Amino acid sequence: MNFGVVAEINSSLDSAMGSGSSNDNQNNLSEWDKLLLLVGSNKDRSAFKKLYEHFTPRLKSFLLRIGSDVSAAEEICQETMIMVWRRAETYNPESAGASTWIFTIARNKRIDKLRKDNRPLPDLNDPSFYQTPIDRGDDLVQRFQEEKKIQKALKTLPPEQAKLILSAYYEESSHRKIADESNLPLGTVKSRIRLAINRLRNQLEELER
Amino acid sequence: MNKQNTITLVESLLIDYANGSLPLALEVLVETHISMNPESARSIQMLMQLGGALMENSEPISMSEDSFNKLMAEIDTLQDEEKISQNVVSNDNDELPLPLRNYVLDLDLSKNWRRIGIGLAEQVIHFGDAEIGSAKLYKIAPNAAVPSHSHEGNEVTLVLSGGFSDEYGTYGPGDIAIQETGAVHKPVADADGECIVLAVNEGPIVLTGPVGRLLNMLIK
Repeated sequence: MNFGVVAEINSSLDSAMGSGSSNDNQNNLSEWDKLLLLVGSNKDRSAFKKLYEHFTPRLKSFLLRIGSDVSAAEEICQETMIMVWRRAETYNPESAGASTWIFTIARNKRIDKLRKDNRPLPDLNDPSFYQTPIDRGDDLVQRFQEEKKIQKALKTLPPEQAKLILSAYYEESSHRKIADESNLPLGTVKSRIRLAINRLRNQLEELER
Repeated sequence: MNKQNTITLVESLLIDYANGSLPLALEVLVETHISMNPESARSIQMLMQLGGALMENSEPISMSEDSFNKLMAEIDTLQDEEKISQNVVSNDNDELPLPLRNYVLDLDLSKNWRRIGIGLAEQVIHFGDAEIGSAKLYKIAPNAAVPSHSHEGNEVTLVLSGGFSDEYGTYGPGDIAIQETGAVHKPVADADGECIVLAVNEGPIVLTGPVGRLLNMLIK
């Protein structure tokens, strides 16, 4: 990124985040968070394109890993990015980083697709909703630290545990497939996943100390 | 159901909520629970952050050719329709937690109650979702005891207001109680006000449906 672009982003961010925005705060934003704020404040198409090129190939890959077929995965990616474009102005970096925010939209889009009667979730069901009951003071810094810690913890997971963690996000049918292949009751598969998530949560708490 | 089992089942419900595999009625129940319970909200936030991290770490796989331009073309055509589709009507009954109001537009706590016993009334909730056995609100008068009953299907209950106790524990606003098929209990509402709960039951008929499978699986 050249200096001109950085200066432009930072000045747009000042207007996007209000006068309270400081360098300190901006240090706690990823490049993607900043681009998302630009889409929200200016409907900036080049920022949106960068987000698209970064996130859709990863989201597609993730959806394939958790059980979607190629055409469903691409469709969910497109629908997710339409939502990103439309809802970017509601993006609040204190609640979620860009990847968490986009993941949550994709989750909703995937449910809309899977649900039999095809009734979409209310639009109000946007990711910022999940954070409403939480009030913990210095949100931006804390949120940024949490997401960094998760990335750090993921890097050190033994492969077996990493696989279990990923399978928490599998489609229902994939859980049944695991159970069949490993000759375990479905309940056992589920409780192993739950325990792996709990173990990860404990690891995150230890990183906090 | 003992406390530890309940905690375990709620944790499983939260994971299934995060991965989007709950039927609509349970999805709404869990979402309402999250809006009332900061600890579960925290768990969901962590699961969403984790999902975002796993997504971002995935090895990129290219989209089909020209997909960005196609998307922008679609966005430009959709621009005009945007306002219409974002027009979400939410139930304005502010006694109810917001997630419930967003899904169930015709819910009204001031009427529609059907008396089914002394100090006990119910109303059926329509999620427009054929996947579920039944979803009901129950209203229990202060200190009233629901006659001892067993459950034909597994049932997940969320306290919306007030509180109740049964043989297994005490439950306040935002708490989830789970009854297994065949479990017998006798809930008694707290003395200081009426208790309203949302109960999602897999029902006696749909034991092989997704909810039945889900709950059977959770409970195993």
